[in-house]
Amino acid sequence: MLFFSFFKTLIDHEVTVELKNDIQIRGTLKSVDQYLNIRLDEISVVEELKYPHMSSVKNVFIRGSVVRYVHLPAGSVDVPLLEDATRRASQGEMRKILNRLT
Amino acid sequence: MSFFGFDSQRHNAAAPGFSQAHDPFAGLSQRNDEDDDAVDFDDTYDGLGDQLDESGDAFNDDTFGGGDTGAAAPVGKDFDFFGQTAKVSSAIEEEHVLFTRQQPAPKAAPASAVPPAPAMSSATSVHYTQSYQPYSQPVRTGYEKYKEPEAEPIPDLHVDASLWGMPAKKPAAESAPKPQTQPPTSGRKVMSLEEVERAMREQAQRPSQPSVQPAPPPQEYAADRVDYYARPDSAQRQQLYGAEQSQLPQPPVHHGHGHPVTILQRPHSRTPQQTGPVSSVPSPQPRSHHQLPQASPIQPTQILQNPNRLSGDASRIGLPTQPAHRSQGSVNRNQQQQQQHFAQLSEEDKAAYLDQETKRAKRNHKIWLLSKDNGLMTPQDKNFITRIQLQQLVSATGNPGEVGNEGSLAEDFYYQVLFQIRGGQRQNPNQPLNNFAQTYLFQTGSRQGGMRRQGRAAENHAQRMEQQVQRAVEAAKNKPKNPQLVIAGSLGKISFSNAKTPKPLLNIKRGGDAGDGHRAASNKRMGSSSTALDRKAILRNIERVYNTVMLMEDHARLAPPPPTNGNHEEFHAKHGEWLATAQALNAKLWDELKVHEPIRENTVHPFIAFLTFPKGKKVFSRVFRHISFEQRTTILTMIIFHLDSLDVVRDAQLTHGEKNLSAQMRENIELFSMSVMPSLFAYFNDTQIDIVTGVLGIITKLNVDQIAKTRVGTSMLTLVLSRAELLKQAGGGDPRLWNEWDQTFDAFFNVLEPTLPHMFPGSVNAGEDVLVWQLLAAIGVSANPEQQQRLVLAVKDRVLDTVAHAKTLPASLAAQRLGTVNLFMHSIGLDVELLQ
Repeated sequence: MLFFSFFKTLIDHEVTVELKNDIQIRGTLKSVDQYLNIRLDEISVVEELKYPHMSSVKNVFIRGSVVRYVHLPAGSVDVPLLEDATRRASQGEMRKILNRLT
Repeated sequence: MSFFGFDSQRHNAAAPGFSQAHDPFAGLSQRNDEDDDAVDFDDTYDGLGDQLDESGDAFNDDTFGGGDTGAAAPVGKDFDFFGQTAKVSSAIEEEHVLFTRQQPAPKAAPASAVPPAPAMSSATSVHYTQSYQPYSQPVRTGYEKYKEPEAEPIPDLHVDASLWGMPAKKPAAESAPKPQTQPPTSGRKVMSLEEVERAMREQAQRPSQPSVQPAPPPQEYAADRVDYYARPDSAQRQQLYGAEQSQLPQPPVHHGHGHPVTILQRPHSRTPQQTGPVSSVPSPQPRSHHQLPQASPIQPTQILQNPNRLSGDASRIGLPTQPAHRSQGSVNRNQQQQQQHFAQLSEEDKAAYLDQETKRAKRNHKIWLLSKDNGLMTPQDKNFITRIQLQQLVSATGNPGEVGNEGSLAEDFYYQVLFQIRGGQRQNPNQPLNNFAQTYLFQTGSRQGGMRRQGRAAENHAQRMEQQVQRAVEAAKNKPKNPQLVIAGSLGKISFSNAKTPKPLLNIKRGGDAGDGHRAASNKRMGSSSTALDRKAILRNIERVYNTVMLMEDHARLAPPPPTNGNHEEFHAKHGEWLATAQALNAKLWDELKVHEPIRENTVHPFIAFLTFPKGKKVFSRVFRHISFEQRTTILTMIIFHLDSLDVVRDAQLTHGEKNLSAQMRENIELFSMSVMPSLFAYFNDTQIDIVTGVLGIITKLNVDQIAKTRVGTSMLTLVLSRAELLKQAGGGDPRLWNEWDQTFDAFFNVLEPTLPHMFPGSVNAGEDVLVWQLLAAIGVSANPEQQQRLVLAVKDRVLDTVAHAKTLPASLAAQRLGTVNLFMHSIGLDVELLQ
């Protein structure tokens, strides 16, 4: 949920999604769900010459499992907050494990 | 054989195929023969037709109704092989059993039941009910054979109700509708309500005809009706009940009994509006006289009943259905008959009728659209599904009551907090997104308010639902250890992942009990032997502090609001509880900060080690917010005491300018100034002179030279000295304390004096010496005239260099430089202007 929570904050920001088949798609993040499926609007493929078939595509829905990287706009990431969120997530994990053990 | 209107009577009986035994594979073998013998094939026309058709026609009687009974009846093309019979399949099953028991039923003319049907449906059916089947086509259900005593029983032909998962209906419900129609037609359950009622009416008009059947008490069904109220799928059953009821005690009163069924959808609006005008229409045909007023109440029932439903079910299972046939045929006929009907109305009535009809059509169409899938699931199914969904929700969110706050915030922490910070959503962290289950409960509550108006049954239903939800939530609450749902089978495999927690791809097993024990042990070891502070241990300490701090922050948000209704006792109780928890957390934090670890020679104190890491520095200000004044003092003392061993002091000598420092160190210094110093500064603003004196005293004993040559050290000294000066200017205080301060300052000044000329970072033109000038100014105001003299002597060169350098700079920069120098000059009553 951490990543879901995180990506939700990037909605309407421009991101570059790198797929596992090496295509890099830059576009405005429109929505993301808990599976980290991604919808991008106004997309452009980074290496347009290499993937001409993508040039007419305006928006995409990307299944989360085919995403390799998402390049983020650094300015819109609150690092300390993200650190805390990470801690909370791991705390939650720990708590769950402890609950299961006890 | 009357298949496709082919007249079987003209066939040559001698032709091959007619006299053949029913062999399902006859066609195959014959066709093979034909391949061998093409000449025979061409010889006679009859032989061709028979060979092609006869094998396939073998069971046409069974399928479409026997030619023997229906020879006279017109043959329609809209066969409904399955849909209609399926609706009452279980009834048929029962009927079959019953029928075989009471074999010698008189074979009444089917005409009495069948032929009027078209006329009736003309009045009742409207063109928009496409799927509405008027049952006007030849009633060939394929079950005629059952009615013939001489027919050999074919037990396998009746439809097994369990095929599409329909529970076997109560025998009472099934046996009831059967006798109300005449025995011969009883086999066909495929009668519309109109048909049934008309048959009843006929029965009533002929009282001589004995009603064969033991009538179940009507109250029973009334009770049932209340029970099944608002359950769409029971509409069908209700129709039967209603029909039966109307038949049994007082046959003529049809309207009144038709209504309860109608009420299912629109209790208030429909009845008065429609029965009035419609019934006022003069009925042209004696037959439809009774039908017309009934049309409005009954029509919706048909819609509700949704004839598509079973065929839909069947198609899902894979059984063949013919919805297309049905709808086409019925629509055409309906329209025709409607027009016929119109022709017999007066203009006014026509207009009124049309108007009425349009209105009703619209509404009914809407209802029909909405009710397309009515009755797909039984209420039990729905409850079951709802329960599963709720449980998944609950297990996903965790305990709704307690986690409502914490859980969803933890799940979605980043998003929620970020939007609070950025002002995107004005959402109080005290009230994060409501737990789903709670929302659901709330909604049910509000919905129930609306339903209350609609009567008790609905209310009961809503209440039951609500209770169920509550129970589900309770159950999930009581079983937090088993959050994952293991209900499989009935709904297929239920995935263990859900929306909140997608299936983890990596499932790393932790050590379990043993691992935890081990870790605890290692923690203990680490605690006891803190002399060997390795990097990992320190980092782990820091993380623990973070966790505790976050807990404290959460806890701070949970502080009970001050009493609004004057209920102070309750507030105090809550507040006391809250305070106790806060103190426990504070103690935990304090323990984890390790401030009280003994100070040893040659080792770095755990707390100082803590501060050497960036994240240790970052958490400092957050820690500071949650600790008491005494604890802050302790921490300050600790920091001051180790000031020269802080990494930002020890390794950050500025003698050669900041550029000589590594990037990492510069970052560290920046971080320290940004996160630690402000807290200390804020703290110092609350201190009195005794503490300030104490701090300066400690510093004096340290390596002042080293401290003064660093940015952090310089600002720390400035901090202490300026606070003292502010206190002095504010006046008051114990003179003895001020005396002490003066002595301490003297000592400090003596220690610092040799360093003064070397404090400046970098060369004159680097322009990094603002802090130093600030420190000098702070020293200047605190110093006595003799010390000021020494001060000026010590830094005279730097002042002159800066002034000289300023002359080479652009005006704005020069002014800035001179301004910083003037900070110091003013403190000792001078000005750079004097030097120029």
